[in-house]
Amino acid sequence: MSHDHGLPPKSSVSRWFLTTNHKDIGVLYLITALFFLVFGGVLALLFRLELITPGADLLGQMGYNQAVSTHGLLMVFWFISPFAFGFANYLVPLQIGADDLAFPRLNALSYWLYLFSGLLMGVSFFQGTTFAGGWTMYAPLNTPAYIPGEGLGATSVVLALIMFTAAVTLGSVNFLTTMYRMRAEGLRMRDIPIFSLSINLTVWMMLFAFAALLAALMILASDHILGTTYFQYSIDGTTMATDADNPGASLLWAHLFWFFGHPEVYIVFFPALGVMAECFQTFTGRRLVGRKWFIISMVLVAIQSFVVWMHHMFLTGINLPIKTIFMATTIGISLPFDLMVFSLIYTMAKGRVRFTTPFLFSLGALILFIIGGITGVFLGAIVLDYQFRGTYWVVAHFHYVMVAGATALFGGLYYWYPKITGKMYNERLGQIQFGVYFLGFNLLYFPMFIAWETPRRVFVYPESLQIWHSMATVGGFILGASFLLMFYNLFVSLWRGEDAGDNPWAYATSAEWAVSSPPPLENFPGVPSYATGKLEFLDDETVAERTERASGAGHGHAATDGGTAADGGAVTTRAAATATAMEPAHETAGEEHASHASFWPFLVSLGGFVTFLGLSGVRTGSVVYLSMAAIGGLVTFGSLFGMTREPFHAPEMAIAERWPFSSVEKMKLGMWTFLASDIVLFGAFIGSYAFVRVAYGWTAWHHDLIPAEHVTMPGLINTYLLLTSSFLVVLAMVAAERESKRGTVAALVGTFALGVGFLINKGLEWQHLFHIHSEAFPNGWNLSTNIASSTFYLTTGLHGAHVTIGLIICAYMAVRAWNGAYQGDDRAIEYFGLYWHFVDIVWLFLFPLFYIL
Amino acid sequence: MPSFVLSHTAAVFPLHGGGVRAPSEVFAQIFEVFLLLGTAVGVVVVAYTMYHALKYRDDGGADPYADKVERPQMGEMPTGGSGGRKVFYSFSISAIIVVSLIAWTYSQLLYIEQGPDPAQTDALEIDVEGFRFGWEFAYPNNHTTNTLYVPQDRVVRLQVTSRDVFHNFGIPELRVKTDAIPGQYTSAWFTANETGTYEAKCYELCGSGHSLMIAEVRVLPQDEYESWYNGTEGSTGSGNQTAANGTETATESADLAAPTASAAPAATAGGVGA
Ligand code: HEM
Ligand SMILES: [Cu+2]
Ligand SMILES: [Cu+2]
Repeated sequence: MSHDHGLPPKSSVSRWFLTTNHKDIGVLYLITALFFLVFGGVLALLFRLELITPGADLLGQMGYNQAVSTHGLLMVFWFISPFAFGFANYLVPLQIGADDLAFPRLNALSYWLYLFSGLLMGVSFFQGTTFAGGWTMYAPLNTPAYIPGEGLGATSVVLALIMFTAAVTLGSVNFLTTMYRMRAEGLRMRDIPIFSLSINLTVWMMLFAFAALLAALMILASDHILGTTYFQYSIDGTTMATDADNPGASLLWAHLFWFFGHPEVYIVFFPALGVMAECFQTFTGRRLVGRKWFIISMVLVAIQSFVVWMHHMFLTGINLPIKTIFMATTIGISLPFDLMVFSLIYTMAKGRVRFTTPFLFSLGALILFIIGGITGVFLGAIVLDYQFRGTYWVVAHFHYVMVAGATALFGGLYYWYPKITGKMYNERLGQIQFGVYFLGFNLLYFPMFIAWETPRRVFVYPESLQIWHSMATVGGFILGASFLLMFYNLFVSLWRGEDAGDNPWAYATSAEWAVSSPPPLENFPGVPSYATGKLEFLDDETVAERTERASGAGHGHAATDGGTAADGGAVTTRAAATATAMEPAHETAGEEHASHASFWPFLVSLGGFVTFLGLSGVRTGSVVYLSMAAIGGLVTFGSLFGMTREPFHAPEMAIAERWPFSSVEKMKLGMWTFLASDIVLFGAFIGSYAFVRVAYGWTAWHHDLIPAEHVTMPGLINTYLLLTSSFLVVLAMVAAERESKRGTVAALVGTFALGVGFLINKGLEWQHLFHIHSEAFPNGWNLSTNIASSTFYLTTGLHGAHVTIGLIICAYMAVRAWNGAYQGDDRAIEYFGLYWHFVDIVWLFLFPLFYIL
Repeated sequence: MPSFVLSHTAAVFPLHGGGVRAPSEVFAQIFEVFLLLGTAVGVVVVAYTMYHALKYRDDGGADPYADKVERPQMGEMPTGGSGGRKVFYSFSISAIIVVSLIAWTYSQLLYIEQGPDPAQTDALEIDVEGFRFGWEFAYPNNHTTNTLYVPQDRVVRLQVTSRDVFHNFGIPELRVKTDAIPGQYTSAWFTANETGTYEAKCYELCGSGHSLMIAEVRVLPQDEYESWYNGTEGSTGSGNQTAANGTETATESADLAAPTASAAPAATAGGVGA
């Protein structure tokens, strides 16, 4: 049954660079995230050391600011979510009965992008100074004008975050597609184990929230690298001046950031909630009380999380009605959490509660979360929030909630350690660690409530508060020490631990415990099914029988994992019909030779890393940086191409529960989800434009900032070009369906030509605008001229980049069509069409906004 | 509701902030109630949690509930356990507490937002501008200082902005705080019932000197303030890095009762660089 398909054994280093298996990648995520925990933790200990007395100066002013800023960024982005996604990678397929994620190579790509983004973050420390403007990165302090020195480190951090966001977006697309297309027979969405459900809701939030963050970061990166002026103030000689050039700048950032930032707190917390619920069920021997309402609460929170962001901005001068609405939504969103907390508490009733390490951590997390939640209600009362804003109250509050989440995740690490390693950790030592951890945690964070009058992110504070800050510092070191125990325990147990067996925990129910520890490469001894209401593993015959009954066809669809979603996804979709036709007829999907190894994801990410490192310094004109950007770009592009050419097989499951997307093939579903996040990306760009324009004055904008030479005609021509090209894509589909090779090629070439026409026209238009010499604009109208030119070039430029990517895919498909592909199976063209139509529709919004209004 | 009553009684003492309920009192009262209730709720819920955890702990003996409850089985389809009603009761209680608490604070929020009736109190209008790394205060006569002077028992209304990056202006003891945003104006008010020296601090990270961005606030008896103020007529007394700013006259609009962020500050910003 076991096929290795070129994957070396786990003892071999090369396996870890090649693997696309979800369990391997889960382990990689866990270890990498723990590394960033240590990184962020050491920074925290450094500045806690400085805070031990009111006036110490250990790190220097900028050193202190860098330490707090990068600590926040590392913990929120590079530690906590990736740690949770280590579990998600390992367990979601096991829990829902899939043999891997829907797009295994994409999953590997997510991981490598994540790792390299973190490395880029690390490199930023060596480029003079790293980012020092707080994890919230408020504008305009986040722009080069306010960053001492060359500011290249700060640029690297912004680029690292972009890379991280790319990883998250690919991951979201992947998990959503997996969960909607690959559930074991009989497993409805609401039936999947609570941890997987929490991940499902997390990735939905990620898909949209990170798109908003991506918009913010792209704009910021453009301010850094291209010289746009979204977040800047006009430069008056050498200083920045308060004139009215771009009065919306600061608030624009705050809105974009918190629109992401609030959902982010639930993105961080939901997986932890899932782990807590799993541990509670197992270690109390009770099913989750009110499970249905627990799930409904989570869904409500996930939706509502997008309408509370302004509670981080109560003091920015928003008017009373809006404040009232956001106060109401904030309180509203806290209520479902009450329900979840009580659900967990009552789950213990009539239970067989065993105080194992995972349960201790889960229970501890619950208690910490209760305290964090109560102190959050304080913040929801606006009159109190006014005073708490920017103080240690907020710091204490969010550590009690966020680090409560981390606490639950450490519980998860102990809980699943036997599954992942096959060995049992030392229980006694685990319990001791919990004791030290819990003590350290409370000694660290509780005094912050008492010393709440301390302003946040300062290193001098009133002497009267010294005792509390000293206590906190001691607590911090105790907390840190507890991790040494954990690392020791988990490391030594790899050799000395007892064999854990398949299921070391009484009352565990989910499917990961029904297989060996660690599970085999293909996860299950047969095809998992819940059709009878209980987990069974079907043999090949039963599967064949059932598929036959269901579809009349001998076997399920097979499609290849098609490159990245970002490059249009559809690139290499090998016609499923062709693929399956080549398989021996008796083979069912479970037996098809799934691929598990690819080196390309690593190479793509390495290339991305070099490119971004280069980009961080291009504004200096340094040859080193420029050549890094060029070489990195080549590597990235080349390896993306290699990835699309590589035959990689990720079979669809023969039988699976697929509601509500049973008729949406997985590539298409992936494309849909990706486009959904792209809509938010463009939405955020368009929203930003509207916001800064309103702040400036809608009509004055046109008057003051836009040259007369900026006419409608080029835009109008481009509108026609794009619309016609969309029509041609439809023709290409029709031709492919009718198996007319010539028609397909002609239509694709036509699409390509029109797209190129679009770009040329745009190039001419820009060239003209760059070089106008009018009285109002003696030096042309370029990216840095004013805020109107910045929004124009950047927004339409982002669209142009989408067109360019589309054209690359289109050219590739035209060549393949020439070689006879797609005939009789137009699905790949359809997926490309989805993307292309989307790009056209975006233009239909941009054209009036930037040319007419 | 008491805040409304109080704000109306303020009308009895026109021209004085002494009878006005100061923001610091409002804060102290709400904070106290929240602390008491929050601690009570916290203690009860945590105790309740621990009670469940300990009461139902597995002591190694036989399962005492073996005939009452069914334990989860390996491979079963996830479902909910019994006891949902208790969850709802507890949830309802907590929801009532939270919602009523917040609703109660809302009336006080309205008071803080609107401030005492401007027609009844002769509020002193001061412009505040943050810069890296200090504060500049402009009085109605365009005099500017880096120390904030205010009279005792008088309502002070601040119009706050920033010259460079995002700051946040707060005087912790007087419980007044608002963001200082470049290109935007926000407003806040307070009244100080005791004379003395206080500190104004920055509550938003703004760069290397953020930790030290502190200004002195002097609350003077009314007559002393008057004589200080009269002595400043027509002059600009602060350091040269701020001198260019003496032209700001945003305070002329007397009625700032409804705090609004100036969404079109192009109209209000007097510019250094202009
Ligand atoms: C009872 C539910 C909660 C309420 C009512 C609440 C309320 C608030 C409010 C109003 C703020 C803004 C404070 C300010 O800057 O003035 C805040 C900050 C914050 N909250 Fe919560 N919160 C709750 C739960 C959570 C949860 C579950 C998390 C994360 C797991 C969380 C994480 C944060 C973070 C990270 C911040 C600080 C952001 C920053 O300024 O850096 N909160 N909370
Ligand atoms: Cu929030
Ligand atoms: Cu500051």
